[in-house]
Amino acid sequence: MSKKLLILVLALCFGILPMRAQSIGNVQMDEANLYAMTKQMGQFIRRFNYEEDQFGNQINPKDPSYRNTEKRRQSMAILFDQQTYGNQPDLQRYFIEDVTSNDSTFMTFLGGRWYSEVSASFKYKGKNVSIIMILGVEKEGLGSKWVLNNIYFSEFNKLFPTGEIAEKEKHFLHPMSHELDFMNIYKIFKEPEVIEYYASKRFEPDYLTLFFYEIKKGNLVFQEVESVKFHVFQIKDWYFEVSWFNRMGSNSGWLISNLIYISEKEKKDLIKFYEP
Amino acid sequence: MKKILATLALVVLVAGAAMAQDELSFERKQAIDSLALEKVRDLSKYIKIVGSKETAWSEANRVIDRAEELFMSNAEIGVSSIASNKIKYYKVRPYFEHLMRLNYDRVEIEWYNIEYVSDLQRQPDGTYVGVITIFQTFRGYDKEGNLAYKDTTKKDITVYVKRKETQIGGRMIGFWDVMLGDMRVKETANK
Repeated sequence: MSKKLLILVLALCFGILPMRAQSIGNVQMDEANLYAMTKQMGQFIRRFNYEEDQFGNQINPKDPSYRNTEKRRQSMAILFDQQTYGNQPDLQRYFIEDVTSNDSTFMTFLGGRWYSEVSASFKYKGKNVSIIMILGVEKEGLGSKWVLNNIYFSEFNKLFPTGEIAEKEKHFLHPMSHELDFMNIYKIFKEPEVIEYYASKRFEPDYLTLFFYEIKKGNLVFQEVESVKFHVFQIKDWYFEVSWFNRMGSNSGWLISNLIYISEKEKKDLIKFYEP
Repeated sequence: MKKILATLALVVLVAGAAMAQDELSFERKQAIDSLALEKVRDLSKYIKIVGSKETAWSEANRVIDRAEELFMSNAEIGVSSIASNKIKYYKVRPYFEHLMRLNYDRVEIEWYNIEYVSDLQRQPDGTYVGVITIFQTFRGYDKEGNLAYKDTTKKDITVYVKRKETQIGGRMIGFWDVMLGDMRVKETANK
């Protein structure tokens, strides 16, 4: 025992304890598959950037193989769900070529423009409902934290349907209403389902505030997380979704489940949902 | 002797770290990872001892005490299976007591030779947080020696790393304190 500790002390003296996984058991079955599995989202990022080798060992940033373009190009295909992208090799190949030919296409934890989608079940007024919560990483104090950016709940969206323009144009307070002490303002409240038509054109419903309100009133009660996935907009001209694949074989764990070539200009509109 | 060496290890670890507290160098991070892995290996060992039907009740309770010491006081263990994604939450002691009470005649718990250590990220108060992933195979046998249940679980264990100071021989010495936090236990697919 003291020999083990002595080795630890010596290793610490030199600050070079290796990251290599060490044996604490003798189970060999399926081990290769578990090595291949992208086990954490952080491992996805390391593999995406080629910051760890094929054995999961972190590469020292001073090492020439760190973020090595050729190795990155060769290994990136393991990050795709091959049941989807095995059938669309061109898109996968084009993506890999593009991101490995440009020095700026690395993914970083604090780089922004990547979000987590957490689907969870809630009780809404006693009924089971499903709500999607969008979270983002925000810097704060000495570090960072995940914060709620937005939510999607169909009941809330039903409250603010995209109305017909012609219908919207029928609902307004005429510009001289002030001279009549707004005696006509009661009309706003006659049809609550279209009350937002009387708001400024800048009005955007804030679903997160509604969500907090319903939670605080006790109408909405959290049950459990159903699934988690990630949406990544950080890479120039690309969007991809990363989902968890719990299956046997070497293509499992956090993998790219959707990939879209999209201009930075188009991204801006999409990102509004993830970061209103 | 063991304690002295452990303290010495921590002291050595901190030497030179004082100037670089905000950004951990690659080498420093590796050293902290190894401390965290030691705790995770202790946890693996305790799970195996407590799960074993050959372990006496009093010994199992003593080991559970040791296991509790590895974790932050408010740590929780969230368990789900393929059959049900619903996460069942346990505090550390009830989790081990549940493991001790499993209704099998014989139990085999084996660990895969894989330990994946994440990057360390700082939370707002400056504490570093990481996650270590390990895999375990569990087999439960009935009285006739037949395999009654088997699963492979992925265990994602939160690791908190905080810089602390202690007085040794009248001098304030800094060290990195490693504690385990919440643990997510998820069954992996066998098909």
